[in-house]
Amino acid sequence: MKRFIITNLLAALAMPMLACIGGWTTNFYLFHIYDEQDFSDRVQTICRDNWKAYLGKSPDDWFWYDADEVMEAAKAKGDNIMVSYVQNLEQYLECARKVSYDQWEYPTKEELAERGKTLQAVRNYALGKLKTRLRSQHALLYMRCNMLLGNHQENVTFWQEIADKYIETVYKEMMKNIYAGALYKTGRLAEAGEIFAEMGDYNSLMTQYYKKRSFAAIRQEYLNNPNAKVLPFLLQDFVNNAQEADDATNPDAEGTGGKLFIRDITKSEALQMRDFCEQVVKEGKTTTPIMWKTAKAWLEYMFADKREAAKDIIAAASLDGTEKMKECTRSLILYITARQAKDSETFDNYLTDELQWLEQNSQYNYVKERVLHQALKRHYAGQPLRLISLYKALGSYEYENYIDTMRTDRLEKYLYFVNTPGNNTLDNYLKSHAKPAPYELEDLIGTKYMRVCQWDKAITWLKDIPKSFYEERGYAVYVANRSWLVEPWITRQFLKNDIEYGDHKWQLANNPKLTFAREMQKMEGELNVLNGQAAAQRCYDLAVRYAQAHFRGDCWWLMHNSKSSEETQREGDSDLAKKAISLLQKASLSQDPELKERALFALSYGELYTKYWYGIVWNNQTYNYDRQPDPEAEQFAAFENLLKFEENRTPAPYVSRCDEYKQFQKLRYM
Amino acid sequence: MKKSIIRMTAALAAMLMTAGCTSRKPRGDYEPGEGNAVYYWRTDLRLDSTERAFLRTYNINKVYCRYFDVVMNDEAEGPMPNATITFSDTLPDGVEIVPTVYITIDCLQKPHEGLAEKLVKRIRQMNETNDISGVREIQIDHDYTARNMKLYYQFLDEVRQAWGGTLSTTIRLHQLSMEAPPVDYGALMIYNTGDPQKWTERNPILDRRDVAPYLRYLDDYPLPLVAAYPVFSWLRTITGVQIEHTVEAPKILEVKHMVEHERKGLSRYIITYHLDKENINRYKPETYEEIYHH
Repeated sequence: MKRFIITNLLAALAMPMLACIGGWTTNFYLFHIYDEQDFSDRVQTICRDNWKAYLGKSPDDWFWYDADEVMEAAKAKGDNIMVSYVQNLEQYLECARKVSYDQWEYPTKEELAERGKTLQAVRNYALGKLKTRLRSQHALLYMRCNMLLGNHQENVTFWQEIADKYIETVYKEMMKNIYAGALYKTGRLAEAGEIFAEMGDYNSLMTQYYKKRSFAAIRQEYLNNPNAKVLPFLLQDFVNNAQEADDATNPDAEGTGGKLFIRDITKSEALQMRDFCEQVVKEGKTTTPIMWKTAKAWLEYMFADKREAAKDIIAAASLDGTEKMKECTRSLILYITARQAKDSETFDNYLTDELQWLEQNSQYNYVKERVLHQALKRHYAGQPLRLISLYKALGSYEYENYIDTMRTDRLEKYLYFVNTPGNNTLDNYLKSHAKPAPYELEDLIGTKYMRVCQWDKAITWLKDIPKSFYEERGYAVYVANRSWLVEPWITRQFLKNDIEYGDHKWQLANNPKLTFAREMQKMEGELNVLNGQAAAQRCYDLAVRYAQAHFRGDCWWLMHNSKSSEETQREGDSDLAKKAISLLQKASLSQDPELKERALFALSYGELYTKYWYGIVWNNQTYNYDRQPDPEAEQFAAFENLLKFEENRTPAPYVSRCDEYKQFQKLRYM
Repeated sequence: MKKSIIRMTAALAAMLMTAGCTSRKPRGDYEPGEGNAVYYWRTDLRLDSTERAFLRTYNINKVYCRYFDVVMNDEAEGPMPNATITFSDTLPDGVEIVPTVYITIDCLQKPHEGLAEKLVKRIRQMNETNDISGVREIQIDHDYTARNMKLYYQFLDEVRQAWGGTLSTTIRLHQLSMEAPPVDYGALMIYNTGDPQKWTERNPILDRRDVAPYLRYLDDYPLPLVAAYPVFSWLRTITGVQIEHTVEAPKILEVKHMVEHERKGLSRYIITYHLDKENINRYKPETYEEIYHH
């Protein structure tokens, strides 16, 4: 019995699909002037808080409306009116749920008639309780029933004559929303729109104005009432949609998440709006000229003269408007300035002030993101140390990736930069906000040297990092439970769920990367002086380690902070799989049949190759995928060599048990 | 786990064997006749004066009315109806309603026992509850591919069995190269020809260049066809952004001439997608006259 209480009448209206778009972007809309209070979330939160208070729960407790729980509490309190209210609310909600009709059992006429009767009964009950302690709740219930029964005019009258005079509560707010819906349903669109705009009911506004978001429609709204509450919503929607026209040709428009509902706006329509905005400011009828002037500047910037836009946006800052509008103007001044500024200390100082302002106003994180990725990234492209610290200071997703893939010598310079005092305002701000965690960069530099198998340099950077640093890494569970000595082609080191996802604090014996680097340095150094069987065995042992340290190995954490199934060989890093293959090929020349067999078997290990010995093809007959041997694949050749070797002998159990080997054998000779 | 796989495989094999026993041939002898039609694709059947006038002016005698969609529902662990239409209005006298159901591709990736019966039963109940009588035909809209074609055709067989009356399905251009479905006739969707996921310079609703490769299949396609043309605007989502497209009138007419040249009968029965005041006002009356020209 967990249910939402839905009040939004317009949610039930027939309308085209309005997809709320998610996803990733740095290309956020910057024109946010409409104070969107998100009506639905707000009232639901207050309602939940009210129920929690009634049930004696703490405000932080998790809560989902449960009629049985409320009724039990009400009975315990002897609160009869609450018991009957919840019982009737339940009946209403049950009817509301069935109104969706989206079940296989479509209601019969009789069921619909029964539903109508129930709603009518609940409506009459609610109407009779308007003089009780819970009169607001009952009035809301009455209006809800009317809404489902289609008695919209009754709701209009009820609100105007009775409910409007009630004290301010969340229930009154919900009633007002239903009233606005009833106005809409009875053809009083302008009044409905004003109420939706005032309440921050974005969804209803979008439904009502979905097809009225053109320049012509907005102009008409203005002509009807230059200070209509719906104008900020409409103007915001228009300007941000106009950005889409600009984005189509804008190379900086990377990613697309966080968008509004899009409609095509042509450049000429955007320019018409730009001119109209200027006209509105000149006419002086609006009480919020800053909104129009800012819109003008932003449209000018996107579609016409960027220098003119820079002048306009500065001029907008001195005009009247709400706080939100002024903050929008400030954000746009930052973006437009940062896109055009020349490298100077004046700009650096200005930027520092604005970054501090944004830091104190987390609601504008999207401004920070867009300014960083579309303006500052370019502005500071020639100053990589500043750019990295900007990424870090502003919490950009680019930071981790940037330092992980940048040249090692530059990262060494960055470590020095970030740890020494700055000599100007911007650097001081950045350095104070970009402090890396202890040993974070030292570990990364050491790891980067490991990735290119420069063990001596790696040891220099890793030697002072305590084991506790690795005990706190997310991958500590793998370090503690896996070993690079295990032959991955014979045993995979999968972890049990309770170990892998448990919250145990793992203790390590030592710094694992340092131990690995020292071991590799020693073993490779000795390889040069080994011969014959000892050399072959050493090649095999080194191959095991390389295969484990490879990004598809069980000890991937030696070279990377995380593992992804999408990972591929990175440019500039040593190809550990190739190294393993090369060493195994040497080992496979051994005269020792046991080692030879192990090496040949290891060479057929799929994780060492980018292409498996088979391709996958869809089978229309079996509705399943089939394997189709691919003789071009290196792994195919490796399996062939193994098969040939095993021809006149009994394979070792790890070979004969291997399902890949068996499948190869079967498909090869089909 | 293995047991359930074996059971599934056995069920699939049994289904395929059964399918092999029933007639899967398209009903090539059906005669769709001559006439004009529209699709109605909103969630509330409510016609305004413009739309009613449109039905009269262009002698529309059939409305393919989307009754509901069938979508996969994880909670219900199976296909479920969605966005069911509300009947706030009725069609003018003399206009036949064809209940049309759109089924998403994931619903028919594997067999769903009883789905066809449930679908037909629901259509019947919707007709009864809403006093809709004289329904002779239903249409299923599904973007089948070579991969799930057999399952879809099996499903159509089941629908045909449960329904008993005339059954049609939408045919997308790319489906012309496949075996024809076991229905009375197909509604050839001469729209949505572009890749909806890509930015291209071509109009994704309709572009002559995207139609051309399929023309060669038209003449020999072994199923009666009627033609459906786009008059809609399309809000398509590309990497998360919605963009609105429309097709210019000459482009629609150009394609109409192309396909009718390849298959003469295609001019006999014409549908437009879809009935809506905005779509009506988008084109001049002459354009509609030409689209509905037989």
